[in-house]
Amino acid sequence: MGGQRAQVIDEQQDRAAPPGAPVPAGPPPELVFKRRLRPLQVAHELWAARELVRALAERDLRARYKQAVLGFAWAVLTPLALCAIFTLVFHRAVKIETGAAPYTLFAYVGLIVWQFFSNTMNQGALSLANNLSLLNKVYCPREVFPLATMLVATVDMVIGIGVLGLMFLVFWTAPAATFLWALPLLAIQFAFTYGIALILSVAVVYLRDVRHLLPIITQMGVFATPVAYPLAKIPQRLQEIYVGINPLGAVIEGYRKALLYGDAPDARMTLIAAASSLVFLVGGYLVFKKLETGIADVA
Amino acid sequence: MSRDYPLGTIRTEQVWKRFRADQQRMLLRDRVDQMARRLRGDRGEDWRWALRDINLHIEPGESVGLIGSNGSGKSTLLKMLTRVMYPYAGVIDVRGRIGALIEIRAGIHPDLTGRENIYLFGALLGLKRREVAGRFDDIVEFARLGGAIDRQVKFYSSGMQMRLGFAVAAYLEPHVLLVDEVLAVGDAVFQQRCLDRMREVAEQGTTIVFVSHDLPAVQSICRRGVWLEQGTVRVDAGIKDALAGYRDSIEAQSEASARVGEPLQLLKYEVRGEDGDATTLHTDEPVTVELTLGGDYRGDATLHLGVSEGTSSPIFQISHEIRMTGGDHRVACVIPRLPLPRGRYTLWTGVYSIGRTDGGTLMSWHSAGQFDVFGPMLDTPPRAVVMAAPVFVPHQWED
Ligand SMILES: Nc1ncnc2c1ncn2[C@@H]1O[C@H](COP(=O)(O)OP(=O)(O)O)[C@@H](O)[C@H]1O
Ligand SMILES: [Mg+2]
Repeated sequence: MGGQRAQVIDEQQDRAAPPGAPVPAGPPPELVFKRRLRPLQVAHELWAARELVRALAERDLRARYKQAVLGFAWAVLTPLALCAIFTLVFHRAVKIETGAAPYTLFAYVGLIVWQFFSNTMNQGALSLANNLSLLNKVYCPREVFPLATMLVATVDMVIGIGVLGLMFLVFWTAPAATFLWALPLLAIQFAFTYGIALILSVAVVYLRDVRHLLPIITQMGVFATPVAYPLAKIPQRLQEIYVGINPLGAVIEGYRKALLYGDAPDARMTLIAAASSLVFLVGGYLVFKKLETGIADVA
Repeated sequence: MSRDYPLGTIRTEQVWKRFRADQQRMLLRDRVDQMARRLRGDRGEDWRWALRDINLHIEPGESVGLIGSNGSGKSTLLKMLTRVMYPYAGVIDVRGRIGALIEIRAGIHPDLTGRENIYLFGALLGLKRREVAGRFDDIVEFARLGGAIDRQVKFYSSGMQMRLGFAVAAYLEPHVLLVDEVLAVGDAVFQQRCLDRMREVAEQGTTIVFVSHDLPAVQSICRRGVWLEQGTVRVDAGIKDALAGYRDSIEAQSEASARVGEPLQLLKYEVRGEDGDATTLHTDEPVTVELTLGGDYRGDATLHLGVSEGTSSPIFQISHEIRMTGGDHRVACVIPRLPLPRGRYTLWTGVYSIGRTDGGTLMSWHSAGQFDVFGPMLDTPPRAVVMAAPVFVPHQWED
């Protein structure tokens, strides 16, 4: 054992500068650390951290559902209240035309998507900033924090879908047989939402005042997205650009077609939304991974 | 480049790390200001190196003590080894599972219970639930948490958090165990148990990097010492040599801090052995310490004399009342049998006025200089047993 150690030290002194020799003023430029992402390794790490994602989400949910009534209300009441207001304002006053589907159902479908997005965005944006002390302690892929908030929002969404089922009973209609189209739309919705959460979470670490922008984005977003009105309200020639920027527009429109009108979602719009959300996801992920390396320095 | 090193290997190659030296608030509006300044050609960035050119090759099973004064970059290095922090330049390669106790706040999540934290930590180390369950009782038993294990970690005292953190890091069978200077939070009994545990895992082949200001504790665990100074490796050698160098530098620094403007000064000191030769002091033989004080203070005072090894806490301290008359005053102290084993020691003195509760300082406690003692080395204690201070005890064995 001792002999082994002695040999190590000798080797060290051979290759390193002799003790007392001046240290160069800076590292050789070719040694400057660069982040290299190997997709396989990244996937493996994320998989290895699944317990952490589950535990983080569980902690949030448990805190919320400790008072079962209030927790449930959080998931259900906000969209229902908005739905009631939208019905009064947009249906009665503005007279939005929704064809064969009841307006309340029409709006509620949009609200489920919007609520999922805004929950993930608002909580996800703070997910790193609220856990800074933790980030200094254990290594794990940092993207698990926004991912956990999306998991929580997903649980809320599932409850919202349950309420949607009840609404179908109330309005005495059945979801259309084309509802399976919802699955690819769900993938687009997740990809876009996660991409935004990734960017915002790391932005808030470096620019703490960005968090004050979140309520503004949320409030404007609910009207800038076709939640209360159909996508058709946006001028025809701008629709493609719009969906490119905000894929949620096509997602909500697609859900409505599939669930309420028995149509397939518009293929062109859906493809644009899919491409756009992929860009948001990959771009967000790359930005996140690049900036991730400095998080512990500013924590 | 990426040779396949065995589990437990730590290698850093030309690692550099820098931090912002200027105060920067993490705000969007500051960044906008900064951007505007940059457009005007003022970069306005000020970086400071925390670590420079760190080359360490640690083999599996080695136990390395990382020593150095505050701010020398020890924690930064450990954080980079755990991959929590990234280097500015260089390559870091740590093979195998890493158990680390870097900050006092234990475990992973303050809102989760101790039990949940243990499982979570195991999961992050890549252990299966079953594997963690097999060690769960050991961890709880070691950390002495009892019923508190099902309470949220944020309600733990700092000692409990540290115990949990150490137990988790040390019992989930890491290949590499990194321990920063947090053990000091625990009580003496627990510290000793931690050291025992570290010795155990070291014997099982775990690589250990141990940071502590408790130098005897470092010496009791580690075989190799790395002394960091201002972000560079000053000495990388056997633990004794590294500690000796570090202790010398501490003493040199405390000597350098001048005590100007005090009523009394130490003009001269001499430590000499039996035959009057200052260079040869021997264990268990007579030694005379002679001090000459000067200054315009008149009156009674207490002179304190102490001897330390490496740290500022003395091994022993003796005092004597003196009467100063405004001129130089010479005082000698004879120690008939010097109780110090072979080594280098520091002589400390101070003078305080008598009868004042605020201990009116005439000459503050400071190190006067060093002297060497020749004689037997102390016997080596068992590993992980920390010697408080070296004392020679005359003895005889019979069997
Ligand atoms: N996150 C940080 N931001 C800026 N400076 C830092 C940061 N962390 C450490 N430093 C600086 O780096 C140096 C080394 O710190 P550290 O590794 O904590 O030293 P040690 O653990 O040896 O006391 C110190 O000067 C410290 O101020
Ligand atoms: Mg430190």
